[in-house]
Amino acid sequence: MIALDNVCKTYGVGHNQHRVLDHITFTFPYRKSIGILGANGAGKSTLIRIIGGAEKPDTGRVIRSSRLSWPMGYAGGFQRTLTGRENARFVARIYGADFRAVEKQTIEFSELGKYFDLPLASYSAGMRSRFAMAVSYALDFDYYLVDEALETGDARLKEKFRQVFKERRQTASVILVSHNEQTIRRNCDVAAVLYGGNLHYYENLDDAFLMYKKILFNKSVA
Amino acid sequence: MSTAGTHMRESAFTIQCRVVHALILRDVKSRFGGRRLGFTWALIEPLLFISIFIGIFQLIGKTSQGGIPVPLFFVTGFSPFFMFRDVLSQVTACTKGMSPLLMFPQVSRTDVLAATIIVETLIAILVFFILLAGCYALGYTFTIERPLDVLIGLLLLVGLGVGLGLVLGALTIRYDFVSTFSNALLSRPLFLASGLFFTADILPVKARTYALFNPVLHCIENIRSAVFHSFESRFVDLPYVIVTILVLIGFGLIMADFFERSRQ
Repeated sequence: MIALDNVCKTYGVGHNQHRVLDHITFTFPYRKSIGILGANGAGKSTLIRIIGGAEKPDTGRVIRSSRLSWPMGYAGGFQRTLTGRENARFVARIYGADFRAVEKQTIEFSELGKYFDLPLASYSAGMRSRFAMAVSYALDFDYYLVDEALETGDARLKEKFRQVFKERRQTASVILVSHNEQTIRRNCDVAAVLYGGNLHYYENLDDAFLMYKKILFNKSVA
Repeated sequence: MSTAGTHMRESAFTIQCRVVHALILRDVKSRFGGRRLGFTWALIEPLLFISIFIGIFQLIGKTSQGGIPVPLFFVTGFSPFFMFRDVLSQVTACTKGMSPLLMFPQVSRTDVLAATIIVETLIAILVFFILLAGCYALGYTFTIERPLDVLIGLLLLVGLGVGLGLVLGALTIRYDFVSTFSNALLSRPLFLASGLFFTADILPVKARTYALFNPVLHCIENIRSAVFHSFESRFVDLPYVIVTILVLIGFGLIMADFFERSRQ
């Protein structure tokens, strides 16, 4: 289970305080793919970082009792002086997975060839993101954390991972943040809108988009 | 195709051990792998300092300090002090910074801290004994009188480094200027006042009273007393050191959590 219990997060000090997350209590649906919509600056990335444990909330807690992925495709956690293989092993170790299987899978997905045994520092930006994506998909998670902003790579690569993602969605849960309607329609079953520091949950995607558009519209008027 | 479909629920402690283990391996590999100087530098740096000061003492005609031959005196001072300094700066950096490793949900700041402290300590202890062995090989013979006390002295230094590192790191999250202050504190006052160049015994009474507020001095005096027959410090107060460590770590953890939660 992944859940937020009374989570608050405030940025700024003194009179310039801005509460990004305001007492959120929310259980992420099991075996469903939830899309989290939010305007720019609504706190989507903060939410992802708090769910993943990269940041601590001011108050409240995050319950993580399942195998949760790191934000898919995020490459910052890898050591540039180490080779692709060594980095893949590191990830396998922290998740307690069989590192030979993870290595094999990563080579297959990333198509890095001999570069797999060279330091990440020698990779091009494209190769690095390909590697990060491949390692993300080499492990099996119960919950996949996806920040749309992290999706990079060429069209062929995107298509490839889209296929894998589709398969995984059948058996796992997904938490996807995005401000893009298409992305959410394609990948999610249910949705929540992050607005005013709170998560508003909708079983029906159309309802969510209605609400989201209202918010965007009101904002631009005000 | 799938790597893990059948994982049992593990205890938090098992996961933590696994993560720390992975972090240690990663740390060691990235330090010592490839063309990095890594361990060589860990050895060269104290060696350089020690050689310079042996040279200076030679010039002024001093062959022993507090009853200890000069090379051994410096090895037992510099090497432990550098360990304290390195643990301190690593813990500070780790507490104040946003390590990208934290993006992995399994990895907590505590894990990253534990791994760095372990690696840093083991390297420093290894360097210390290599330098001691080097002195021995050069003819400055000695037998380590109380090995356990040497280890205790070293571990207390680690504790001090961790405690002070937590406090300084936590303060730096909120107040940037603290990092300037901590660098200045380390490079000069502590370097000069921790018994690298003197023993508490040869200080004038008044200076000694103040110097003994410095817990690092107690640790270094303790290490020297434990290594050499010819030297026994009358001033070592380990309970004082232990209380200092506990207070620092306690405050450090509370402050780190407090500032961490309101991190900008």
